[in-house]
Amino acid sequence: MLTLNKRQFLIGAAGMTAAATLPRLASSAGKNIMVIASTVDIPNFDPHVATGYAPQWLFRNTYDPLVRVVNNPPVPAPGLAKSWTQSPDGLVYTFELDETAKFHDGTPVTAKDVEYSFARLLRLAKGPAWMVSGILDENSVKATGEMTVTMTLKKPFAPLLSVLPWMFVVNSKLVEANKGTDDGQAYLLANMAGSGAFKMGRVKPGDLYELVRIEDDWHKGGNLTGVIWKIVREASTARLMLQRGQVHFALDMFAEDMEAIKDMPGVVRIMEPDYRTFTIKMNTAHGPLMDKNLRKAVSYAFNYKGMLDAAGPAQLMKSPLPVGIFGFDPDQKGYEQDIPKAKEYLAKSAYKDGGFKLSMHHAVGYENQRRWCLIMLESLKVLNIDLDIRAMTWPDTVAMARSPETMVDFYSIFQSPNYADPDNTAFAAYHSSRNGQWQNPVYKNPEVDKLIEDARAEVDTAKRVELYKKFQEVVVEDAADIIGILELRKFAMRDNVRDYVFSSVAPNTMEVWPLSIG
Amino acid sequence: MLLYILRRLILLLPVLFGLTLLLFIVARILPGDPVGLAAGPNATPELIAQMRSELGMDLPLPVQYWNYLTGLVSGDWGMSVFTRRPVVADIMEYLPATIELVFASLLIAVVIGIPLGLLTAVHKNGALDYITRTVALGGIAMPRFFLGLLLQMAFAAWLDILPLSGRYPLIESPPDHVTGLYTLDALIAGDWYAFQVALSHLALPAIAMALSPLATIMRMMRASTIEVLQQDYVMTERALGLSNHLILFKYVLKNAMTSTLTVIGLYVSWLLGGTVLVETVFDWPGLGLYATQAILTQDFMPVIGVTLVIAIIYLITMLIVDLLYGVFNPKVRYA
Repeated sequence: MLTLNKRQFLIGAAGMTAAATLPRLASSAGKNIMVIASTVDIPNFDPHVATGYAPQWLFRNTYDPLVRVVNNPPVPAPGLAKSWTQSPDGLVYTFELDETAKFHDGTPVTAKDVEYSFARLLRLAKGPAWMVSGILDENSVKATGEMTVTMTLKKPFAPLLSVLPWMFVVNSKLVEANKGTDDGQAYLLANMAGSGAFKMGRVKPGDLYELVRIEDDWHKGGNLTGVIWKIVREASTARLMLQRGQVHFALDMFAEDMEAIKDMPGVVRIMEPDYRTFTIKMNTAHGPLMDKNLRKAVSYAFNYKGMLDAAGPAQLMKSPLPVGIFGFDPDQKGYEQDIPKAKEYLAKSAYKDGGFKLSMHHAVGYENQRRWCLIMLESLKVLNIDLDIRAMTWPDTVAMARSPETMVDFYSIFQSPNYADPDNTAFAAYHSSRNGQWQNPVYKNPEVDKLIEDARAEVDTAKRVELYKKFQEVVVEDAADIIGILELRKFAMRDNVRDYVFSSVAPNTMEVWPLSIG
Repeated sequence: MLLYILRRLILLLPVLFGLTLLLFIVARILPGDPVGLAAGPNATPELIAQMRSELGMDLPLPVQYWNYLTGLVSGDWGMSVFTRRPVVADIMEYLPATIELVFASLLIAVVIGIPLGLLTAVHKNGALDYITRTVALGGIAMPRFFLGLLLQMAFAAWLDILPLSGRYPLIESPPDHVTGLYTLDALIAGDWYAFQVALSHLALPAIAMALSPLATIMRMMRASTIEVLQQDYVMTERALGLSNHLILFKYVLKNAMTSTLTVIGLYVSWLLGGTVLVETVFDWPGLGLYATQAILTQDFMPVIGVTLVIAIIYLITMLIVDLLYGVFNPKVRYA
């Protein structure tokens, strides 16, 4: 039997403590590895299948699109295509590819790869394919030369250059060789076939994804030799890691975190307006809120100032389109709290005495959304309406949105545009073809549908502006939403990160290859 | 003895069968749409239906369960809807991290708890007894995640002597995979630097996990030892002139260990199932995090898989504990 006296015990404990606290980190000389802390995982590496901001970040750095999006306000920039032209009727786009572009295996990117990639994307009809639904089909994109691609649209689509940054080109020979029976989905789920500045290194699902800079990278810019996307679920941990310099970017920060790192040495706060909207959608297809006068009563009863005060760094929206985006109508007044008007509209509705209960949901863990629910509760009291507040996880929210009968009366939702065009917000959040989806569960108005369709097909800028102006007027008149707020995008970075430029479209999916550290 | 072990192993099967049935039913009757979620926010109803068919989730429930059971036996524990990987592969990825954390926590709790329990029993109502009693109360009462945050603040943020999170520095590659336990793999490779690094990362989460079992083991050991010290045979041994050291470690310890052994065995499953909060605070990529992600995305196969793994480990642990009774108490023998 092992015996252990007090002295031996203490010596052993001291030894273990010393062993645990004495290591020196290996030198990282010569390595410029950027670390990004995020709460979001990357479950799928297929650029024609995966959605979500984390996969999009991966694709922007391991693949290339024809056209990129940069700067603020966002503008198109050359990607694989060094130049492009557009026919006067907006139906034909011609792209000339960059001869220096090559895939990770060293083979050049050709027009055939682009043709293959778009055909695959549209054939699978997953991932970003919805952005060009009805605009392109499998035969729309053709290689008309070794390095020339021609895109023939089924109808004009003004935001085409805005959606192309999310459509990535794969190595056709590699994917075709690993096609299997599912068009290469099983292969690309966990493998890369890109031309991006980085290739995949270590992969630890749920923990980290390491990208390694390719040798002889044709992208010019930045000094990064690698990037690590680190999943950090606890906000305080991410903040401490940023403080200690263990991460260079901490995404997914809340207002409290930004306050805590204010004036912290070595840390730069990024708090910029972007196009991520928050609205409270009303169930216009089922229940009391089918009554437009009741919706207007609620819209005039709501305490918008309270909502803004509870939001932290944000601004109120008056229009369904984000402030500052092309087509936004700055003269749109929207609704303001006006109790006499609220009561006036209640009296016109079928529920003039109130006396019933409505339901509202918010996302579990989002304190701001919970506060907004409480503001709604208080606002409805003047109308003698009660409110049942429900905290829901994302899976339950998505499931709940699938039918008017299951949807709550007030549906709280953030919406981040995938591309820098009002069509994204308008189409996703207000077109009836999106009913049953989480972005637009129930709202349907044929006039709004036509305005959206006409606007996306219109290539004349002035006419598009007029169409979106009318769109905003009709949606506001419908009182389909409590049009809420634009929160500032909040994240932080170390001050040794250089050449970072904020873009208001998907800012948390930044391209890192132009960046440097040190 | 061998027959006893075999019998206990065979009895695992009906327990696991009942567990899978219960979990399967609960997972299927819960509201939500994991396939719709995995398909993405822009998926069409046709796409979701196709995915549902690919995953076999459009079949009748009894058929789904039968397919699952036969798959279990053949090593196919289903696919994770979220990661699109086999559940077995995911569990093999995450399990070593949790095993390492649990083992380290238990080691701390046992190595410190048992001797302290002995000492405080021998020096009952002394200064050490009062101090450890207070620490024990705090250890049991304090939530692990809160303790974890405190440890991070103290040792990582303020003193900067231990890492903040993770199993290994982000920009370095861990030791070559043998067991998946970085400390053990480093020792196997003879890489002392890697062992130090892995141990330094393990320290804070292991301490956060260890405090509660340490407190319980210490108090249980103390109580058992006090009881045994009052037995007649101990008095006889003292009368015979045996040294206190010999009495304590050869006779008292063995007899006092049985109830503590039970507590240690129970804590294995408690630790296994309770790592999620500490893993979240310390970014420890273990089974707890994997299970949490699965629950939040209503990914049922991983939830069932993780529960089965914990159940198997728990049942085997209790078998080992039962066998160890025989080591400490010769009167206990299994036929």
